[in-house]
Amino acid sequence: MTLTHTQAPPAVAARALTKVYGEGDARVHALRGVDVSFATGAFTAIMGPSGSGKSTLMHCLAGLDTATSGTVHIGDVELTGLGDRRLTQLRRERIGFVFQSFNLLPTLTAEQNIRLPLDIAARQADEALFDRVVDTVGLRDRLRHRPSELSGGQQQRVAVARALIGKPQVIFADEPTGNLDSRSGAEILSFLRTSVRELGQTIVMVTHDPVAASYADRVVFLRDGELVTEVAAPTPETVLDTLVRLEA
Amino acid sequence: MLRTALAGLRAHLMRLLLTSVAIVLGVGFITGTFVLNDTMEAGVAERVTADAGKVDVVVLPKTGVLPEEVLDRVRALPGVTEAQGLVRGGAPVLGKDGKTAGDFPTTAVSVVSGRLDRTNVVTGAGPGEDDRAAVLDENTAKAQGFRVGDTITVLDHEQNPHDFRLVGLIDTGVDQELGFTGAVGFTTDTARRMTGVKGYAEIDVAGADARAVAAAVGGAYTVKTGAELADDLARAAGVENQMITLGLLMFGLVAMFVAALVISNTFTILVAQRTREMALLRCIGATRGQVFGSVLLESAAVGLLASVAGLIAGYGLASLAITVLAALDSPLPTDAQAALTPPTVVAGLAVGLVVTVGSAVLPARSATRVPPVAALRDHAGEPAFRVGLVRCGIAALFLVAGLGTTAAGVFVLEPGQQVSLVVVMAGGVLTFLAVLVLGPVLVRPLSAFVGWVPRRMFGVPGRLAVDNAARNPKRAATTTVALTIGVTLMTLISVVTASTRLSLTVKLDEQFPIDYLLAGQSRDAVVPRSVAEELRGRPELDSVAQIRQVTARVSGERLSVGTFEGPVEPYVVAGSMAGFGPGEAALSELTAKALGVRVGDSVAIETRRAGTASLRVTALLDGNQSTLPPVTVAQGPFDAYFGAVPDARVMVNVRDGVPLERARAMVDAAAAPYPDVRVSSSTEIRGQFDETLDMVLMIITGLLGLAILISLFGIANTLSLSVHERTRESALLRALGLTRSQLRRMLSVEALVLGLIGALVGVVLGVVFGWAAMRAMLDGAVMSVPVARIVLFVALAGVAGVLAAVLPARRAARASIVGSLTPT
Ligand SMILES: Nc1ncnc2c1ncn2[C@@H]1O[C@H](COP(=O)(O)OP(=O)(O)O)[C@@H](O)[C@H]1O
Ligand SMILES: [Mg+2]
Repeated sequence: MTLTHTQAPPAVAARALTKVYGEGDARVHALRGVDVSFATGAFTAIMGPSGSGKSTLMHCLAGLDTATSGTVHIGDVELTGLGDRRLTQLRRERIGFVFQSFNLLPTLTAEQNIRLPLDIAARQADEALFDRVVDTVGLRDRLRHRPSELSGGQQQRVAVARALIGKPQVIFADEPTGNLDSRSGAEILSFLRTSVRELGQTIVMVTHDPVAASYADRVVFLRDGELVTEVAAPTPETVLDTLVRLEA
Repeated sequence: MLRTALAGLRAHLMRLLLTSVAIVLGVGFITGTFVLNDTMEAGVAERVTADAGKVDVVVLPKTGVLPEEVLDRVRALPGVTEAQGLVRGGAPVLGKDGKTAGDFPTTAVSVVSGRLDRTNVVTGAGPGEDDRAAVLDENTAKAQGFRVGDTITVLDHEQNPHDFRLVGLIDTGVDQELGFTGAVGFTTDTARRMTGVKGYAEIDVAGADARAVAAAVGGAYTVKTGAELADDLARAAGVENQMITLGLLMFGLVAMFVAALVISNTFTILVAQRTREMALLRCIGATRGQVFGSVLLESAAVGLLASVAGLIAGYGLASLAITVLAALDSPLPTDAQAALTPPTVVAGLAVGLVVTVGSAVLPARSATRVPPVAALRDHAGEPAFRVGLVRCGIAALFLVAGLGTTAAGVFVLEPGQQVSLVVVMAGGVLTFLAVLVLGPVLVRPLSAFVGWVPRRMFGVPGRLAVDNAARNPKRAATTTVALTIGVTLMTLISVVTASTRLSLTVKLDEQFPIDYLLAGQSRDAVVPRSVAEELRGRPELDSVAQIRQVTARVSGERLSVGTFEGPVEPYVVAGSMAGFGPGEAALSELTAKALGVRVGDSVAIETRRAGTASLRVTALLDGNQSTLPPVTVAQGPFDAYFGAVPDARVMVNVRDGVPLERARAMVDAAAAPYPDVRVSSSTEIRGQFDETLDMVLMIITGLLGLAILISLFGIANTLSLSVHERTRESALLRALGLTRSQLRRMLSVEALVLGLIGALVGVVLGVVFGWAAMRAMLDGAVMSVPVARIVLFVALAGVAGVLAAVLPARRAARASIVGSLTPT
């Protein structure tokens, strides 16, 4: 089954993506030929039962891991066959990350953490954007604090700010609210959605939470390493329904 | 609990292996020292027993020599199959330059033939009955470039040269006098003729028992059996071996102390990383004691394995050292087989075990403090470090005590005495303890200081690295202190040798503001006065000064009494030497103190020709500066008291503008007729000092290298543990765009900062205590800080740190991002 998005060109696209872990008896087909693309300026959620290959897909799309076969494009760059140096370069310039936990360097302040990707790439920060992002996520008075002095929600907001500040072509978020209480989670999700609406940011988010998925413009569903269906303009109910159907 | 401890061991095998390297090296060095000592002693024993087997009884003089008639009496004894007198006395061998070889006159010995011959001829043969043949000890032959078949010239006791054919080379064995002066062997007759000695240094007897010989020679001489002689010889040689062994053990102790720090740090980190594991054990019912025991048990297992490896390494090291020493023809006895004796095995295992387990006690105790609920917490996090008042108080106490003690050693006690040095060193140890306690407090500011440049030079990786270096101050402090010890000692030794060098040079310049010195070997008065008189007439020379001296009894003490002629600066500190003449004496301050006299008092000198003369002390001289003998009298009276003795030293200054080669040729020509008058320039004298000091510096630096090596393993260990702890952090950085090489660079810079901190503290301590030790050791010491060398130490410490980071950094860079991001 092939799912193509109507708008072109996509920010990220994968064709016939497979990923096999292990050898012999221990072989696991984490991805079995996934074709998917993510439109520029869209907020897409990837859902599926545990072990369905969501994280693997995200890692392959982001160039953190190499697929066994198939191709991945970020914008006009094909990832297949790129060496570590080029992949690192690509992550620096075009990709932002928000992970489930352990997003921040404990030795750096919130502000230093936010500016870290730019510093690593030796790029100048867009100060107007910095101010706007910091104000949006409400971290103005927390900039000098270190991660250990921030709550879990605040830490994730720092991570979101960090992902936004580099104006990446796409932000990948792996369960960004997985460790948060529902209120902090809701905050983070609305920041993500705001950044898509107001800054035109492209976001791909892995989640297993139907409520989180409902913030997205579109939800794609994985099962046993295959893309099985998708829902446009999701609500928690439609997502949950689809999940229940898949698990059955 | 045993199973848990062993499981812990297996899980952390790699890290524990790194730790054990520290113990292996330390134990290896210590056991190596013991093996070396045992082997040398065995070598000595082998030789002396073989020697002693040839002799049944020996007769030795209590003072002086054994007269001929003693030998006659022994020979007349019934049962004596053979008795030989051994002659021993000075007979300088001339080198190829026609001047006496070595700093001391060669000792001539008689080589007897037959069963009583104890000479160990290694090449060629003994002189036999040939009065024109001689043998030479290997070292002198090698140093002077003589081979069997050459003709050598030896001076007799009246300084007349005689030629001999060199027929063989001998090994002087355990005889320390011969080892020191070198030996030349002749037939008994020749030896007697050359040395002018009337009598024997020893009579060897075969075929009689000691009691009969003792009865025959009477109580004026010592009579021993061959076995007793062997014991005496072995003991004398053993003392020298023991000094070497003790010296080596000191370095072994330093290495073990550094190893202890490294081990303690490793266990602390391992315990911290296993907080959850410990807590889980406590949750399922393990008592505090059991947790404590499991950590100690683990350390005991590591200590035991490493000590066994250390024993093997030590044995290998000693065997290697013996092979090398033998190949270098070292005078040490190296012919015995290296052996691991049970006491060595026990000592090696005990040291390794005690140090390892001892170092694990504190970490084990902190393991017991882990509360069971820690198992339920998600993340242990960084241990918070606060600058405790108690810590600062203790450190201040040590610091005040240490600096106070040092100051007392430097400013209160008399320089040049052993007590002063010991006190200064005690102060050093106390100060070091202060630094040890204060270390965690110092690490942050120091890393900020040291990291100033890398932080700006290496961008984000540099900044992160500098932060990481001081992230866990206790860990960083212990890691760097291990390196500090080695660097402190190296710097201290460098400062002391450089200052000694400078002090001696300054003294040389002050004492001998001279271009050439003419003197015999070992201060013998051998320069005929005519040499100085001839030189004095030369227009090329600016000044010629002579010093003469003899040994005489002064107010009951045997002292050097002398005089001078020509311009010599006396360095008067009290009284005056104006109009110095008959009936007057000038004393060095120390001599005056020893005799208990002051300016105006009298001293009694037993002269050779004028009975006892009473002299008034008119001046005291600074013995450190003045070249004059301890007791100086005017020239005329000296001749009246002691006759026309030759000059001991002639000091020559070249007139400005005269080419040095010409002056040298002239001075050489004046000395040429006298083989025992040696010409040296102040540059040559300085060169000899330099060579000796360089040698000392090299040996000590080499031995301290071990401690430094161990501390580098410590840095590598700490770093690899930190890398392990920060796996997810590294993965995050890589995800955010840090390249592999940037990640490697980050860890290299962290190691660089750690290395530099350790080196910097070491350099400061080393310079301060090098200065203090120098002040305590030598009155009027001139300080010199070898800046280039010290900068080199610091740079090398940095480089070494970076090298220590290579493996951990590679591992960190190779880790897969995805694998490391996923929480385990
Ligand atoms: N490093 C790995 N080695 C072997 N199997 C793996 C590895 N990572 C993931 N898998 C397997 O691949 C499948 C997909 O995993 P993952 O992408 O993490 O799923 P999800 O994120 O949807 O829970 C699972 O069966 C998992 O066990
Ligand atoms: Mg997952």
